[in-house]
Amino acid sequence: MKQVPVLGPELFVPAKAQAGEEEQIGYEHYSYWRSTFRTFLKNPVSLVLLAIIIVLTLASFLYPVFSKTDPNKVALDVERWNLSPSQGGGIFGTDQLGRDIWARTWYGTRTSLLLGFIIALLDVGIGMFAGALWGYVKKLDRIMTEIYNILTNIPQPVLLLLLSYILRPGFWTIIIALCSTGWIGIARFVRNKVLMIRDSEYNIASRTLGTPLWRIITKNILPYLVSILIMEAALTIPYSIGAEVFLGFIGLGLPLDTVSLGNLVNMGKNNFMLYPYQLTWPTLVLALVTVSFYIAGNKFADASDPRNHV
Amino acid sequence: MSEPLISVKNISVDFGSGKKRFRAVDHVSFDIRRGETLSLVGESGSGKTTVGRAILRIYPVATGSITFKGTDITKKLTSSEQRDMCRRIQMIFQDPMASLNERAKIDYIVSEGLYNFKLFKNEAERKEKVMKALLEVGLLPEFASRFPHEFSGGQRQRIGIARALVMEPELLVADEPISALDVSIRAQVINLLNRLKESHGLSYLFIAHDLSVVRFISDRIAVIYRGKIVELAESERLFEKPLHPYTRALLSAVPVPDPEIEKQKKLIVYDPAQHPYDKEQPIWTEAEPGHYVLTSASELDKWMR
Repeated sequence: MKQVPVLGPELFVPAKAQAGEEEQIGYEHYSYWRSTFRTFLKNPVSLVLLAIIIVLTLASFLYPVFSKTDPNKVALDVERWNLSPSQGGGIFGTDQLGRDIWARTWYGTRTSLLLGFIIALLDVGIGMFAGALWGYVKKLDRIMTEIYNILTNIPQPVLLLLLSYILRPGFWTIIIALCSTGWIGIARFVRNKVLMIRDSEYNIASRTLGTPLWRIITKNILPYLVSILIMEAALTIPYSIGAEVFLGFIGLGLPLDTVSLGNLVNMGKNNFMLYPYQLTWPTLVLALVTVSFYIAGNKFADASDPRNHV
Repeated sequence: MSEPLISVKNISVDFGSGKKRFRAVDHVSFDIRRGETLSLVGESGSGKTTVGRAILRIYPVATGSITFKGTDITKKLTSSEQRDMCRRIQMIFQDPMASLNERAKIDYIVSEGLYNFKLFKNEAERKEKVMKALLEVGLLPEFASRFPHEFSGGQRQRIGIARALVMEPELLVADEPISALDVSIRAQVINLLNRLKESHGLSYLFIAHDLSVVRFISDRIAVIYRGKIVELAESERLFEKPLHPYTRALLSAVPVPDPEIEKQKKLIVYDPAQHPYDKEQPIWTEAEPGHYVLTSASELDKWMR
């Protein structure tokens, strides 16, 4: 039989207890944003999409700086019109006036991205504060609900038509048109979330400590909305780009001398039967931008929820 | 008898309005003296928490008055009085998981009150105060840079206490501060509360439903049933001679840590229909010095025998 080793007291060394030490170990410094980015970048899909977004954004903003091609330069020579890439019309070909579609696509992407960023910033910025107040201050609920009803019951095309009559069509007109109704949707979303957390115990605790309203909103409520707001912003960007394309399509978009994806798609649509490449390339870029923002936005919103941090 | 620190007279709290109106607290009165722990016990939904929150002016009172050091705090206060009340009366919450802001660091949570009332001259003094408060509740000052989710229930509750303590309050309303904690760390928090009471000259309104705990920490106990206080006495006296049948029912439900006795124990079930209140209305009566009970004269006679 095998000898079982006998456990004797000589095998043990008493550990010395130190007051406070048991609470000191087992913690690491935690930073919310660092964890968010780590979780986000761990996913290969979001990594690829992020790369696409960065490349597209950089390319569209840097192309006009480095390229000497004028996107509005009309070729007087009829030979230069409607040339497909294979016929030597440049990378994406030329359109019916001999303008270089490659250059126009980057200029257009820049305009559309800028539009999307500004609208997302304004919509989310206004919607966030209006929604937080709407949800937190009970007296405002009635008024804000009525404003919401009015704004959402006006058909968007009617509002856009009216605005384009009042204001001259242009970059800022489109921003005003889309933001005037866009913020309230986000505000309602935020309000619903705020209603859920406004009466939780930590908010009552803040009230008993005499915390003023603005600090309750900025410190207790908005941090909980970060993931929602990021998602809303990420969804607003492709939505605004799409809306601009739609407005261009029905003739209420940017003036024709402004290059945008909306105008490009609109122009390509007219010549699609004869010269399909004029629609295909701008649409592909448009799809790439919107889909990347959409999916990456969702992934980032997931990552910014601390419950998904490991 | 010293002057009461806070005196609650005939307060009622209503929720809802019109037909849906519900009276959660019905003409409740009690005093808390300086340095005293008054416990408020009762079953779920009896209005214990509502009384505590009415004192903190989270819920408005429908009737009655609450006088804190001579000032009626149910009335509209000037902003300086409001600031003062805010500091003097603080609260400890039931659920340490829900009562801390998950997205703020401990440093901010503890100094939230300091920011609100500018109770510091410079950043160094604020840090110093946070550090002192954390040490006082038995936490390390390094914890200030961490987030609440890194702590256990008992530690979180101590953070909640530090947050109240930093305001240098005189009255602490402790709303079931231990009921959400593990049994093994309840004693830790209770001992801490008792120690702070000595060192800071605090008074407590201790809201609880667990009589076995209440007995060891309170000077007086008030029993509340369906929004009404039915009995109030010195805590030992209440355990010795409970008068109201509801109190007796509550006391019979306290578990005894002896399986033999526990098996033999007869539970008393309280039936509110037993009172002959259709003939005479119950009134708040002093049955013996310092021992109050809500009863009618003939009923009291029967109980005292």
